[in-house]
Amino acid sequence: MGFQSTFAGPHQICFFLGKLLIIPALISLASLGYAQQELESLRSDPEQIFAFQIHPILVKKCLACHGGDPDEIKGELDLTTRDALLRGGATGEPGIIPGRPPESSIYLAALRDDDNWAAMPPKESERLTAVELEFLKQWIVKEAPWPDAEQLKKLQAGRDPWGSGLEVRVATSGGLSEEWTNRTYEPKNIWAYQPVLAVDLSNVSEHPIDHLINQRNPQGLVVAPQADKRTLIRRLSYTLTGLPPTPEAVESFLADTSAQAYENLVDQLLDSQRYGEHWGKHWLDVVRYADSSGFANDYPRPNAWRYRDYVIRSFNQDKPYDQFIREQLAADELFDDSPEAMLGLGFLRMGPWEHTGMSVGRITRQQYLDDVTSSVGQVFLGQALQCARCHDHKFDPVPTQDYYAIQSVFATTQMAELLVPFQPDENISRFEEEKKYLAKREAAIAELRKTVNHPHKTANDFGRSRLSGKWENLYRRARDLYEPFMLGVYNGHTQFSRNSYNRFDKPADTKKGVLESTAILTGGNVFTPAAPVKPGVLSVTSVAANIPQQLEGRRSGFAQWVTDKANPLTARVMVNRVWTYHFGQGIAGNPNNFGSTGDKPTHPELLDWLAAQFMDSGWSVKRLHKLILTSQTYQRSSTHPAIDQLDELDSERTSYAVFQVRRLTSEELRDSMLQVSGELVNEMGGIPARPDMNVEAALQPRQIMGSFAPSYVPHPMPEQRNRRSVYVLKLRGLRDPFMTTFNQPSPDESCEMRDASNVTPQVFALFNSEESADRALAFAHRVLTDSSSDAEAIEKAFLLAVGRRPERDELKAARTHWKECVTEHQQFHPEPRVYPTQVVRRANEENTGEEFTFTETLFEYQDYQHDLHAHEVDVRTRAFAEFCLVLLNTNEFVYIY
Amino acid sequence: MDRREFLYGLNASLGSIALTAMLSEETTAQDDVVKVAHFPKAKAKHCIFLFMEGGPSHIDTFDPKPKLKELHEKEFQRSGQEQSAMASGKRYYVQTPFEFKQAGESGADITTAWPGLAKVVDDICFYRGLQVTSVNHPAANYHVNTGNRFGGDPAIGSWVNLGLGSENQDLPGFVVLPELSFPQGGPANWNNGFLPTDYQGTAFRPAGSPLLDIRPPQGVTRRQQRRNLDLLAKLNQKHAANHPQHEQLAARMKNYELAFRMQTQVPDLVQIDDETQDTQDRYGIGNPKTDNFGRRCLLARKLVEKGVRFVQVYASSWDSHDYILRAHGAMIERVDQPIAALIQDLKQRGLLDETLIVWMGEFGRTPDNGIRGGGVRYGRDHNPNAMSVWMAGGGVKAGHTIGATDEVGMEAVEVVHPLRDLHVTILRLLGLDDNKLTYFHAGRYKQLSQFGGKVIDQLIA
Repeated sequence: MGFQSTFAGPHQICFFLGKLLIIPALISLASLGYAQQELESLRSDPEQIFAFQIHPILVKKCLACHGGDPDEIKGELDLTTRDALLRGGATGEPGIIPGRPPESSIYLAALRDDDNWAAMPPKESERLTAVELEFLKQWIVKEAPWPDAEQLKKLQAGRDPWGSGLEVRVATSGGLSEEWTNRTYEPKNIWAYQPVLAVDLSNVSEHPIDHLINQRNPQGLVVAPQADKRTLIRRLSYTLTGLPPTPEAVESFLADTSAQAYENLVDQLLDSQRYGEHWGKHWLDVVRYADSSGFANDYPRPNAWRYRDYVIRSFNQDKPYDQFIREQLAADELFDDSPEAMLGLGFLRMGPWEHTGMSVGRITRQQYLDDVTSSVGQVFLGQALQCARCHDHKFDPVPTQDYYAIQSVFATTQMAELLVPFQPDENISRFEEEKKYLAKREAAIAELRKTVNHPHKTANDFGRSRLSGKWENLYRRARDLYEPFMLGVYNGHTQFSRNSYNRFDKPADTKKGVLESTAILTGGNVFTPAAPVKPGVLSVTSVAANIPQQLEGRRSGFAQWVTDKANPLTARVMVNRVWTYHFGQGIAGNPNNFGSTGDKPTHPELLDWLAAQFMDSGWSVKRLHKLILTSQTYQRSSTHPAIDQLDELDSERTSYAVFQVRRLTSEELRDSMLQVSGELVNEMGGIPARPDMNVEAALQPRQIMGSFAPSYVPHPMPEQRNRRSVYVLKLRGLRDPFMTTFNQPSPDESCEMRDASNVTPQVFALFNSEESADRALAFAHRVLTDSSSDAEAIEKAFLLAVGRRPERDELKAARTHWKECVTEHQQFHPEPRVYPTQVVRRANEENTGEEFTFTETLFEYQDYQHDLHAHEVDVRTRAFAEFCLVLLNTNEFVYIY
Repeated sequence: MDRREFLYGLNASLGSIALTAMLSEETTAQDDVVKVAHFPKAKAKHCIFLFMEGGPSHIDTFDPKPKLKELHEKEFQRSGQEQSAMASGKRYYVQTPFEFKQAGESGADITTAWPGLAKVVDDICFYRGLQVTSVNHPAANYHVNTGNRFGGDPAIGSWVNLGLGSENQDLPGFVVLPELSFPQGGPANWNNGFLPTDYQGTAFRPAGSPLLDIRPPQGVTRRQQRRNLDLLAKLNQKHAANHPQHEQLAARMKNYELAFRMQTQVPDLVQIDDETQDTQDRYGIGNPKTDNFGRRCLLARKLVEKGVRFVQVYASSWDSHDYILRAHGAMIERVDQPIAALIQDLKQRGLLDETLIVWMGEFGRTPDNGIRGGGVRYGRDHNPNAMSVWMAGGGVKAGHTIGATDEVGMEAVEVVHPLRDLHVTILRLLGLDDNKLTYFHAGRYKQLSQFGGKVIDQLIA
């Protein structure tokens, strides 16, 4: 892999200045070059005060009520001209008395503590700041001049005397007000919209990443040495596959003393199918993957798994990222002959959404459009577009116009479950056994339904009738699990009020309904459309887009713009995500927010260089990994040789002088336990797996609109349950407490980075739960089956769990513990665990207010084949399982160094 | 370690409590003591929020509409496109099947279905001016609880704890007492959102163990656990010596010891055996109709007494689309006596002044009903434009009814305020300024009211 970059130019030019000079969209005002003295005099000029301080306040906080239509003006106080202000409102008092702030009513109202004047602006959140009040006072003291419109425009076009002098104006499609359109930005806040800067590293001999990291290393700060090989293989295995290395892999890596050993290991891990599962999960975090729709009914999305597997395959195949984007945004327009690409459209269906009998069609349709717009902004562009839904973006150069222009791209996009044949690499192997249970559940509900409909209904009849009606419908939807439907979209007119009770079929006539025309929605309200908007893009990027206005082709035009190499956001956003997962911190600290309120890049040249490399490599994510992982920066030890110096020179830990330790994620933890215990089933893809969940949580009654949801019941066979966590059924309305305790994020919001809290319920989950006990027992059994002595067993357990042999004192402690446990366990004779095959539901029935009950049969439990249990093994194994449980709870097991 | 994280860092349906005894050896962190309120003179220091999930009808409880008698079964004209689409087709006005009778010295309007509450109406401030925006249960629940219809933001109990700090560091500051079946929208109704995990609501499971996995599996003795912990400590200490710069290690080790002590002590807290029989009787404990809600009301009082800032108690199933006499009648019977007992009990203990009680659902109900299944079953649908809310205790204008709805109860017309203003008012009663109670997240300072709101002065004494 080459590190040369293609563009020659001095890479150390001032980052921002360089951009200001070369980007025509930006108009630097810095060149006006005022001297300090001049500035002072401008700042005391009341016309300047009005232009840059008072007028913006009036526009932002006053004119909505005290401007506009004379009949609507509140308190008859008009604040659009000086004369009107002097005249005052209904009270007869003038708005101001020039020269005398304490007698000027608007000043008193703004102070908010005068008994005679109601506090203004009325909204507390808009109250004037102390600084603003001071300007208002100064302006009145200085006789409150009010330049005419032309003069005002001229003043405001000049430099803001209170700005830093570096501010720039940027070209956008324009805001709702001229003030917004003409406002200026500090260059550091709009870094993300500048083109990716070419960084010339042609004369650099070290790894470019190391070069770009080291050049920003705080002066004098030593960096940590390379971590040892045991640490590195564990770190690499987790970062690329989410699993610990096997003892064999560790041995072979240690034995390989060749110069290529490390690089070969990276290649090997990138080639593993486990890679796509792990990195697919990262992507699914960002796009909010779930198998249900959320909200009142949490309807199943039976075919969501096909998108999940598509994502995993895409990472494993190293699908070029630009292609990956195009498929997810517009496969139906671009690649409708490729079933695989079509599955990518699931992206456009990931958000929580429902339409029920209680919903208003226009509103839920708008929710969908808002959700997609916001998602596209966060996922691909690192932009909080949703901030511009009701008003021009407060901080970023994103006008409301752009929000609705992007939304308009999706205005002809309609949700549908499309029929796309199953492909050879899709896993459909478990359909038949699943159908068996569905049929049983359907039959039980059909039976129940026969009993409830008679004229003299009791509370039980009402409750059961409602419940069975609901479940009948849910089961009908569940049938789709086995049909080649996919979550997709098509282009067409909108048919409002399609109830998500039913599958959305693509209508025969896609032009039935309303051809939506997008308009700016005042206050984000679908019932108050204002100016019409054409489909478009984020205008501040000044990258042109060609988006048709007809029904077809909007999304492909938009995707073309997103993946245009000139688009400054797309590549940066993705390389920053990848970097974040490897290092636990982003180059830009908020992968979903490259706007002014996100953390600025700590190493902007590195971000740009990586982005350029990424695009030049054909958007290869695997090559990006290799580039990052082969740097010395990545291989540094997590222990710093001079921690005091590090604390002093880099308290924020942005230098990468030391590797940051991280805790396993919830999925890594569960998957690792299964791998260590030998139970992990490496089957890929297919319908969602239902592993064991804490039974109390699983059977906790869960309300869905008007009734209960069917219970969560684990799959009957171990090979169905003990799958990797990425394949586990993800219901928005029922989260596995083990996973949430270890910070698995809610699928309702895009997750840019996992939290890793350290809280007591984690102890209960990992130390006390049956799940942990089961893993520990299987782990013990596996090791003992394979060992000829106690010492060998202990050694094997250490190797499997933490990748090393025990030290002498550890071995001794483990042996003593084991012996004591044997004595303890001799007194205990475990019974087989009993699983519930029925659950009784009770609730107040809404028609009667009386209690109704319903008994649900849990069919899978009737055939349940449990994992290895204590009553099936000897005392020695049970005692050793205690030791194995301890190992799975050690810090060494749950942290990656 | 960060003690708050230990104490209150709880997830979803999990909860955690620690008792004084077991924490006495812990030092107190500076930042988790009581904080000075923005309005230090405010009376309320705690809040018990009685959430009537499903949307109780104002027309059949606290807001009489005699006009409906006249209009009964006359055709109703729907107006406004944002109205719920439910039960389309012809709709008819429906009079209330309940009987209204003024109660107390204040002459508060209340139906005779509330004999308990009728005795304490002079402690209550009824409010009829509130409007909400969502007609779907989970969205409306989220709106009431978090200020954001789409969920994901911190719950009001989280905000209150952020603002007021902890009065008793041995207990979580925000406890939720749900029904066996969680409300629509699930645990996101008491989530900490973007606030630190410390502020998450702790739901005590009403059945089974109050916390998941609080006990080890069968057959694991305490002695065995101790042995495992000792070995774990040994391995962890050795490991920590090799990783001296990793600060989380010690905290994680400590968590294991604390958890070990908690598991014997937690289950005691949810017991109410130490309350007198008389007290239990007054809350309706033992009576099958009132036992469930009564227990939770009593537990709420106990928790507030121990310094818990915010307790939320759920009573679900108010969603009476049909047969409202029967359905609402039974719901009222479940909660009337326990609520009255709660108010009287707090008053008797001198706690009512410093405890704000809020009673509300997620929306009100309509004056009309559609034809369902061929007949009018006298129920009511969701109505975001009119509802009844009441508050008692902590600084509210007791003995008053504020605001009014139109003559049929379709829409609030006097002292009309959006939900955010009620949020701001609740915070204000607790001494908090919504505009100051902010937290920087996703690019801006966020607050419970989302964008700021107005105190409803009329509700405050």
